[in-house]
Amino acid sequence: MMGKKRSDQKLVLPLAMDFCSPQSEEFTRISRFFDELGKGKFVTTKCKQCGTLSWPPRVVCPECQSDELKWVNLPRTGKLWAFTELCMGAPRGMEQDLPFSIGIVELDKIGLRLLSRIDTPFKDLKLEMPMELVVVDMPGDKVFFRFKAKRKR
Amino acid sequence: MRKVAVVAGGLCPWGVRKASWRELVQEAGKAVLDDSPDLGKGEIDSLFVGAASPDRFAFQLHVAPLVADMVGIHPTKMVARTELACASGQAAIRYAWLAIAAGLSDVALCLGVEKMNLPDMAEVQTTMTAVLDREWDAIHGASAPPFFAMCAQHHMMHYGTTRHQLSLVSEKNHGFSSTNPYAHFQRPIPAANVEDSPMVAPPLRLYDCSGITDGAAAVILASEERAVELTDTPVWVKGSGQCVSGNNSANWRSLDVWDSMRQAAKTAYSSAGISVSDIDIAEVHDCFTISEIIAYEELGFCKKGQGGKFIEDGQSRIGGKVAVNTRGGLLGCGHPLGATGIAQVVEIYQQMQSKVPRKRQVPDPKVGITHNLSGAANVHSIMVFGRDR
Repeated sequence: MMGKKRSDQKLVLPLAMDFCSPQSEEFTRISRFFDELGKGKFVTTKCKQCGTLSWPPRVVCPECQSDELKWVNLPRTGKLWAFTELCMGAPRGMEQDLPFSIGIVELDKIGLRLLSRIDTPFKDLKLEMPMELVVVDMPGDKVFFRFKAKRKR
Repeated sequence: MRKVAVVAGGLCPWGVRKASWRELVQEAGKAVLDDSPDLGKGEIDSLFVGAASPDRFAFQLHVAPLVADMVGIHPTKMVARTELACASGQAAIRYAWLAIAAGLSDVALCLGVEKMNLPDMAEVQTTMTAVLDREWDAIHGASAPPFFAMCAQHHMMHYGTTRHQLSLVSEKNHGFSSTNPYAHFQRPIPAANVEDSPMVAPPLRLYDCSGITDGAAAVILASEERAVELTDTPVWVKGSGQCVSGNNSANWRSLDVWDSMRQAAKTAYSSAGISVSDIDIAEVHDCFTISEIIAYEELGFCKKGQGGKFIEDGQSRIGGKVAVNTRGGLLGCGHPLGATGIAQVVEIYQQMQSKVPRKRQVPDPKVGITHNLSGAANVHSIMVFGRDR
């Protein structure tokens, strides 16, 4: 470190603190969510007993505590309910993406609202704009979802 | 339940400090003990440490016994760190109050601390982001500024709140912090400068946001019996309220109506036996300008949607309906997460003793409240303090 300013030193996060948690069945009981997402499907859990739809997926129903849940499809489209753009102060691993859009998407039919990165430039966004799901690769053979403005057909 | 009072308070200078986590602790510990000359350290039987993330900011767990080391005390009743993100400091005070009220403790130290300025600022942003649901929300790069930016977007759309009204909150609080030698930001900032500051997350600009700050603060709470022996001017804990609405974004029913804050205020006022018109001074959680405007509304200072007008009419300044954030708030003092909730109580304590600089002294305050929100305004914590027993 001779001659190097201390402020130039970079700390490195341990892997266990990656934003994206392990997704395989070895580490989580909802690995099916990520398996389906990898195939372009968007799913969550629904209680077989009381019918409560949960987000994010669960292993126990938060309403009736039943542990008999089934996987159901979620709409892959929605409308933009709120949005902004992060211009500075990104967390580690996302600095190079600045600026990027963030919004809340209200899924069609069921009204579930999800916070999401929006893969459309901020200047092109409008409230109530139709959105569609996109699946993105994450480091370490993992996947996650985002939304973007729906392409006009 | 036994009556409980604040009998001492103190803090270290806040800012980008050339000092480590444990040095901030020592400074705040000295400040609060210097403020209570009649108290023998051996009488402090309990310790609660408000700290949001020493795990990452200082790579240290089991911090409460380390704080006991740094301050040189040996609690024999209760000891713990309290973590509730941005409300960690108030959480410490709530537990100390509960322990004393229940008769499990007689004298408790509450010390809040956060060391946030580190060689690599991405580390701070990463830790702050993890206050949200990290696996499902923070993973999108969302943190506090985008969430509160969207609250502002909705409040402007639904109630006509203006850019200028947001700026007036920042102007007021920086005006107050310029009278506070312990504050991070020592210069007044006119509203026009807020509007010219760099964009963080539209519509929020840099001076709409509280700072990343190193700081510590401490108060001592005591039972009624001990309080009246220790000081002629104790400040009494009169009541409190707290309300939770989950953490994941799927729970956000509204961005600009904060039901859980309204509920927490209702509980706090009724437990203290006060009505909103009794409040002379309020320390509210202005982590962003928009949050102070929504706080006016949900605390009942004005009608829903009138928060922008409330600041514009000067109602939250000294001489208005209720003096809000006279120490400078989070915008002016900075926001060292675990220390904020405790520094707010120090301000109420010193205001009621007429110990603050004259420029920000509220005339004869009898009832004060402190409010902290945490996360994406999912949790609201409110305490009521009174000069009269």
